[in-house]
Amino acid sequence: MKRLRHLLEYAAVRTLLLLVDLLPVRAAVALAHGIGDLSWLLMFRRRRVAIDNLLRAGIAPDARTARGLSRAAFRHFVRVVVTSIKSDAHWRRHPWQECVEWQIPAEVAALLDDPQQGVILASGHLGSWEIGAQVLSHRKPVLGITRRINNPYIDRLMQRRKPRHRFELTPKRDADLGRLVGALGAGKALAIMIDTHARERGMVVDFFGRPASSHTAIALLHLVTRKPIVFGWCREVAPMRFRFHATGPFRFAPTGDKQRDVRVILEQLNRELETAVRSCQDQYMWGHRRWRVPADVAPTGP
Amino acid sequence: MTVTRSQIIHRLRGIMARTATTQHDWDRVGEEDAIAALGIDSLAMLDFVYDIQQEFGIQFEAHELVEVTTVGKLATFIGERTTA
Repeated sequence: MKRLRHLLEYAAVRTLLLLVDLLPVRAAVALAHGIGDLSWLLMFRRRRVAIDNLLRAGIAPDARTARGLSRAAFRHFVRVVVTSIKSDAHWRRHPWQECVEWQIPAEVAALLDDPQQGVILASGHLGSWEIGAQVLSHRKPVLGITRRINNPYIDRLMQRRKPRHRFELTPKRDADLGRLVGALGAGKALAIMIDTHARERGMVVDFFGRPASSHTAIALLHLVTRKPIVFGWCREVAPMRFRFHATGPFRFAPTGDKQRDVRVILEQLNRELETAVRSCQDQYMWGHRRWRVPADVAPTGP
Repeated sequence: MTVTRSQIIHRLRGIMARTATTQHDWDRVGEEDAIAALGIDSLAMLDFVYDIQQEFGIQFEAHELVEVTTVGKLATFIGERTTA
């Protein structure tokens, strides 16, 4: 039964991919918005989480605004997938340099353009994160840590389609330390999404004034490799035109108090993410469950 | 100050007891034990490397540890750096 469901889902995704590949950009984006609206209507549990999160973050002052923003966020999520699919063909006709603006500090630019310098890239499910990794890979090879999709057929398809140019992926479960630090040693950018729920092995830090689960790996990687952290994200400013933003670089020296060291880094990165999300509230994946932490857990200062 | 091999292994047992994801009789962990078999997965390995760097006051590239597979080899690795 499960296999049949997976095969049906796979067939639907293949059909959608074919359709998106055939359609011009504007039509594909319109299709994405339609699918986003449909998902918003059908995925009522995720919709409720998104609306609740928007209210709890204080982004939406009332339920009506929260509903509108959550719908825009659903649309945006599908649009991210569609523009990512279209980007390959689009950039064969239009040089990628013409489609991307860089809004990054000079020190970050220097790090990205130094082929020997490994960089830890922190990002979130904000803006056009798939495109962000792709455009960045034109300046520096990128190794992204990704979560496996539950459907193995779709997972294999995505593993084949997603990597482009100098952007490679490694599944989170198979991400051995040797490969990660090896990538940093080879001058690559190691891209890590900081806004996923870390379950029992994370740390709770403040995000929009609420305790949120955070993975500690990015902080520990920085502390043991001393490679600089850059917070980066990419926003679509017009159809197939993008602006890559970055802040940092951030460097923290280990003090011997591991919990404190990790917390300081995670708090900084979550502040960067929060600032970025506030600047484009309708382009964030609000259906996250990072705030689902035990009621008695609260972030504490170092 | 020079740290003896047995002191290194004793301190390593303490670090592993804090970072490993599985429980062992740490007093019986010896030179031949494989680190990977002691519940040190990739996330725990990051904790482990941080603790080693701080405990022994040494700096090294994390990827240097990739070839270090047993407690004994790790003791040698640390010994070479603490006496360097």
